[in-house]
Amino acid sequence: MLLHILNRSPASSRVPLDTLRAMGDNDWLLLIEDGVYGAVGPLADEFTSIQGRVFALKEDLVSRGLENRHDATIELVDMDGFVALTEQATQTVSWY
Amino acid sequence: MSDTTDNSMLVVLRHAPHGSSWLREGLDVALVGAALGKKVHLLFLGDGVLALATGQQHGPLGQKGTHPTLDMLEMYDIDMILVDGKALTQRGLTADDLQLPVSLIDDATLPEIFARHSSIYNF
Amino acid sequence: MNYALLVQGAPYSQQAAHSALRFAHALIARGHTLGTIFFYHDGVYNASRLATPPQDEPHLVEAWRRLHEDHGTSLLVCIAAALRRGIIDEREARRHGKAGYAVESPFELTGLGQLLDVHSNHDRLVTFSP
Repeated sequence: MLLHILNRSPASSRVPLDTLRAMGDNDWLLLIEDGVYGAVGPLADEFTSIQGRVFALKEDLVSRGLENRHDATIELVDMDGFVALTEQATQTVSWY
Repeated sequence: MSDTTDNSMLVVLRHAPHGSSWLREGLDVALVGAALGKKVHLLFLGDGVLALATGQQHGPLGQKGTHPTLDMLEMYDIDMILVDGKALTQRGLTADDLQLPVSLIDDATLPEIFARHSSIYNF
Repeated sequence: MNYALLVQGAPYSQQAAHSALRFAHALIARGHTLGTIFFYHDGVYNASRLATPPQDEPHLVEAWRRLHEDHGTSLLVCIAAALRRGIIDEREARRHGKAGYAVESPFELTGLGQLLDVHSNHDRLVTFSP
């Protein structure tokens, strides 16, 4: 399982599309930095094809005032949770 | 792709030439890997496919560009050059428009390529 | 596990370096080792000892140095990426006849090949890019 780390919003970049194309059926996606804009609906719909495998970094939502506005299908993790995801993945791939 | 082994490195190039240094600095990682004796596979993805378009030139200030580097890949034994077929089509290009012979990759194959390499550098 | 980070964003321009620092502290807090941070692309600006942020902002260069002092983390800076951006150490300054320098220990200018070694001799490499 690969952990893909994405810091681009689907509203401003095509990078999220390439990230999704590269993801295998068991891979996970973590949204960080400006990537967390994609955790808020309706932009979150971009990730419906990988529902249940999408995480967003809580502190980046909080600093952007979005903590309570993220889509319910996306799981929030703190920095400790971010590290835990990298432990479970065999490798991480960062998209920017 | 039968010679694809787990310990070969995958360098993914996603940026077009001239607009930023990502393409050049990504290629540098590939060349260094090859110089150190590692088996290097290149994947041109998204805008990265524009790196292969023929007819590129130096910039007006003498910026080198990356097209001369691509001509050196063979010398470095980098012969696995994978290209995102969809990105190529989106940009009005075909394999005939590219400066090197490449292997076109479809969407179904992309995740496999990422899964089978144990060290991935995404530029 | 032994972690390495690849940092490719300049501090104070993009969030990448700040995210990397947060991740560094979190992985150490979970009991892992942070063996190496490799600075590449605009990440080399993280190595400038001349950085002088306002006192009420995080001082990233100091924070990297403290990781080295407290946890033994190697701070490696790609020499090719650094030199062309003016991020040189005393030795390179002398060699090129420059009056000042930006990089000092514990940051080390090193070849790009080191990045590949770092990738193969650490359990995880996590990249933070602008």
